[in-house]
Amino acid sequence: MTWLKLVEGYMPMQMISELAICILFFSICNYLLKKAGIGVPKFWAGILVWCFVNMFYLKYRIYPPIPFSVRAIYGTVSACGIFMWVSGSQEEWLEFKRPIISVLDANNGFTKVLRTALLLLLPIGLGAFAYSSLLPSFDEPIELRTVHPAPPATTKVHGKTYVLQTAQQPYRIDTEGKYDPAYSNAHIVDQSMGRLMKDVNSSEDNPWDPNAKGYIKHVREGGEIFFQNCHFCHGDNLNGRGLWAFAFNPIPANFTDAGTIAQLQETFVFWRVAKGGIGLPGEGFPWASVMPPWEQHLTVDEIWKVIMFEYWHTGYYPRTWD
Amino acid sequence: MGRLFTPMTRGKKRFSAVTALIVAGVFLTLPIILSVTALAGGGGGGPSGPPAEVLEQRKAAAAAAAAAGESVEGEAVAIETGRDVYYKIEGPAVGMPAPITADNETFYPRYNFESRVLLWVANQQHLYYGSFVLAVPIFCMCIELAGMISKDKAMAKKYDQLAYDFIRISLTAYSLTAILGGILIFTFLTLYPAFFGYLSGIFRPVMHIYALTFVAESGVLYIYYYGWDKMREGVLKWVHLSMCVILNVIGTVLMFLANSWIAFMMSPAGVDEQGRYLGNIWHVLHTALWNPLNVHRILGNMAFGGGVVAAYAAYRFLSSTTDEERAHYDWMGYIAMSLGVAFLIPLPFAGYWLMREVYAYRQQMGITLMGGLLAWLFIIQATMIGILFLTTNYYLWQALGRMTGGERFQKYIKYLVFILVVGLLVFITPHTIVMSPAELKAMGGQQHPVLGNYGVMSAKNGGINAIIMTTILSFIWYQRGNKVPTVSWSKFGNIFMGCFFVVAQINNIFLACYGYFIPANVRIGLSVPQVAGTLSCLLLMTPLNLAMLKGGRELGPIKWGQIPPRSQYAIIMLATAFTWMMGLMGYIRSSVRLFWHVNEVMRDNSPWAYTHTIGFAANVISFNVLFFWISIMFVFWLGTLGAKKVVIKSAVPDPVPAGASPQPAAGH
Repeated sequence: MTWLKLVEGYMPMQMISELAICILFFSICNYLLKKAGIGVPKFWAGILVWCFVNMFYLKYRIYPPIPFSVRAIYGTVSACGIFMWVSGSQEEWLEFKRPIISVLDANNGFTKVLRTALLLLLPIGLGAFAYSSLLPSFDEPIELRTVHPAPPATTKVHGKTYVLQTAQQPYRIDTEGKYDPAYSNAHIVDQSMGRLMKDVNSSEDNPWDPNAKGYIKHVREGGEIFFQNCHFCHGDNLNGRGLWAFAFNPIPANFTDAGTIAQLQETFVFWRVAKGGIGLPGEGFPWASVMPPWEQHLTVDEIWKVIMFEYWHTGYYPRTWD
Repeated sequence: MGRLFTPMTRGKKRFSAVTALIVAGVFLTLPIILSVTALAGGGGGGPSGPPAEVLEQRKAAAAAAAAAGESVEGEAVAIETGRDVYYKIEGPAVGMPAPITADNETFYPRYNFESRVLLWVANQQHLYYGSFVLAVPIFCMCIELAGMISKDKAMAKKYDQLAYDFIRISLTAYSLTAILGGILIFTFLTLYPAFFGYLSGIFRPVMHIYALTFVAESGVLYIYYYGWDKMREGVLKWVHLSMCVILNVIGTVLMFLANSWIAFMMSPAGVDEQGRYLGNIWHVLHTALWNPLNVHRILGNMAFGGGVVAAYAAYRFLSSTTDEERAHYDWMGYIAMSLGVAFLIPLPFAGYWLMREVYAYRQQMGITLMGGLLAWLFIIQATMIGILFLTTNYYLWQALGRMTGGERFQKYIKYLVFILVVGLLVFITPHTIVMSPAELKAMGGQQHPVLGNYGVMSAKNGGINAIIMTTILSFIWYQRGNKVPTVSWSKFGNIFMGCFFVVAQINNIFLACYGYFIPANVRIGLSVPQVAGTLSCLLLMTPLNLAMLKGGRELGPIKWGQIPPRSQYAIIMLATAFTWMMGLMGYIRSSVRLFWHVNEVMRDNSPWAYTHTIGFAANVISFNVLFFWISIMFVFWLGTLGAKKVVIKSAVPDPVPAGASPQPAAGH
C-alpha cells in the first residue's frame, strides 16, 4: 500500500484530487448502472457519497487523524452539498424524496414496519444522544489555543527596545554587509526540492564553505547555536520532533509547516524566542508553551542568527509587509 | 380659450412645483450649509478648551513678549501644544484630555446586568435598521430609473410599482431607525457617560451636523414618498428621481459621519496621546480607517438591504394565494436578490482593503483579528460567506426550473456542487484547530500536515475565487436558461467562454499552490492575478454572453411564480446569513480594540473590558438577528396593512396591469 501514501509536499492537492477521482468514479458507475437499468436511487446515492467522504475517506485515509471539530465542519458542509445536488432540480428532488414519502405513507407491510421502527428508534436514539451528552466527562477540556497571539508594539531585550513593526534582522546582509533581504531570499532553497543549497561549491550558497561571508556565514553561526540549544525540542530537521519533544503537550513548533514561521515576521519570531512561553501575552491563553525565555541564555546577536538559520534551513521566507 | 390656456396653466404648475421643491430642498439643506461654516472655523473646541482665536492671540502675545525679551507670566505659559498621534504634527491642545476612568458608578453607572451587552444590542439594532433605510433608496433610485428609461410601458409601470413597494417598506423602518438611535444615545449617556462625554466633546460640531442631516434626510424622504403620484409624469418624474439622488447623497453623508466616530475609536487621529483635541476637525474625521470603512459599509449595506427586501418578497411569495401574486413576488425577490448579490461580489475585495489598512495602521490589531484572539470568528465569517455564495448558486439553479430549456443545464449541477463544496472546505478550514489534548497528541503538533496547508491565506484565496467563479458560471447559465444564441459566431463564442473559465480556474489553483513556495510579500501580490481572473470572468464573460444572446432564439417565456418554494427558503436563508454576518463583523471590528474605548488613548476600565467567549458572542449575535427579524416582520406586516387599506378605498382601477402587488388608489 506504499503507493497509496500521501506524498509530503503535495498532500493538500493529492487529497482534493483523490476525492475528485472517487466522485467521478461513482458518477461513471452510476451512469453505467443506469444504462443497465439498475441505477442507484438518488436517496441512497446521496447517503453513500456522504458516508464515503466522512466515515471512510476523512476518517481512515487521512493520517494523522483529523480532529473531530474539523470532521464535524466537513461533515456538515458535505451534507449541505449533497442536499444541493439532490434538490438541484425538481425531478431529482422528487426522486430523492420518494423513499422518504413512501415510508411515511406506509402503503405496504414493509414500509409500515419500517415506519413504526423508525418512530420508535428515533426518539430512543435522540434520548441516548442526550444522555451521553449530559454524562460527566473526565477528559481534559478542549482548549482553543491562540497559537500566534498579536505581538506587542515593542519589546525590550537586553536593555534595548525593539519596535517590532520596523526592526530589521541585522544579519540579513549581502557580501558587502548591507541589509538586503532580496539577496538572502535568492539563496534560500525550498526544502521539498531535497537539497539545502543551490550550489555546494559556492561560498555564497554553502554556509560551511571556508570562504563563506555575509549572510551565509551567519547562517552557519545560527546553525551552531541551534544545534547547541534548540534541536533537543525542535528536532534536527526543525520539524518539532526533537529528542524531548514528546515530553510536552503540545509538542514544540514544527518550523517546516507552512503555518508557523513562514507566516511570521522575523521580529515576531525574535520576540517569541527572546521572551519564551512565559512571555506570552494574555491573548496567548492557555499559554501552553514551555519554551524558555532565551534572552536569559543567548545574546541578541545569537537570537537573530538562529532565526536566520531556521528560515534558511526550512526554505521559507520571513513575512514582510512591503 | 380654455384649450389655449391649458398648456400654460400646466406649465405654470410645473414651474411652481419645481420652484417649491428647490426652495424646500434649500431650506432642508440650509442647516447643513450653515454648519459647514462652523467646521471651516476649526470645529469642536473640546469640552472646555479656549477658542482657537484666543489661543492664536495668546500665541502672538507670547511671541511678541519673547521677541522683546520680556517674560510673560501666566497667559503665555498656559498655551500648550500636543502632537497628533496619527498625523504626527503639532497643534494647540484645545480640548481636555481623555478621562481616566475607574471601575465605579461615577464612570460606569450600571444596572444589575452587563452594560456592554445592552449597548451592543441597542447599537446593533440601530445599525440594522440604519443600513436598511440607507440601502433601499439606492435600490429605488436604480429601479425607478430603469422604469423611466424602459421602452416597454407595462414593464416601466412594473418597475415604478416595485420602486414604490421598496420605499414603502423602508418608511416604517425609517421611524424605527430614529427611535433606535434615540435609545442608543440614551444607553450611551446613562451607562457610559464619561466615554460619551469625551467623544461628543471631540465630535461636537459633527454630531450637530449629523442631527441636521437626519432632518434633511427625513424631509427629502417624505417629499419623495408622498410626492410619488404628483410627480409621475414628464419633467416632474425626473425631478422626483432627482429627489431620490439627493436623498441618497444625504444618506451617504450621514453614514460617513457616523463611520467617523467608530473609525476614530479604532484609529484615533487629531488628538494627542492624552486624547486632547488639537483643533483640526478634519484630522479627527479623516482617520486611517475612515475611508476603507466607508466603502466597506456602503457595499455591505447594499448587500444587506437587497437581502432584506428579497426576504420580504420570499415571505410574500410563500404566503401568496394567487398565481399573479406569486409571479410578482417571485420577480421582486429575483430583482432584490440580484441587487444584493451584485454588491456582495465586490464586498470581499473592500474587506481586503480594510484589513490591509488595519495591518498598516497597527500590525498587532491585524494579527489579533486574523491570526490571534479573533481568528476563529473569521472562520465563522468565512463559513457565512460560503453560505451566501452556495445559497445564491442554489437559488439560480432553482430559477432555471422556471424557464423552458433550463433543464439543459441542471444535469451539470453536481459538478458545480463539487467545486463549490471543495472550495468552501478549503476556505473554512481553520488554521488554529479546536481539539482535545488527546487529539493534539495524536496529531503530533498544532498543525495538521495535510489540512494545515488549507489554513493559510494562499489556499483560502484559491478557495474563495473558485467559489466566486462558479457563481458567475451559474449566473451565465441562468442568463441562457430559456435562450439559445443565434449569432454567427456562437460556436466560437461558446468555445472561447469555456476555455476562458477553464484557464481562469487553472490559473487560480496554480497560484494558490505556487503561493507556498515564495515569500509572503510576493504571495500577497498573487491575489491580484487571482482576483483579476475572477473579475475577468465577471466583467468580460457576462457581457459576452449577453452579446451572444442578443436576438437569440427563445425556447419559451420565463414562468414567473413557477419556482419551487425551496428557492424562497434559500432567499430567506441568504438574508439571515447577511444579518448574522453583519452582526458578527460588527462585533469583531469593535472587539479588536480589546480594552480601549479609544484605541491607545482612552482605556476601558469597566468590569466588561474583556473579550467574550466565542459561544457567548455567537449567542448575542443570534439574539440580535432574531430580534431584528421579528421586528422587521412587524414592519412588513404594517406595510401590508397600509396597502390593503388603500385597495379597499380604491375606486379607479389601474389602467396598466402591474403584476399582483397591492394597487393603491390612483396609483399610490
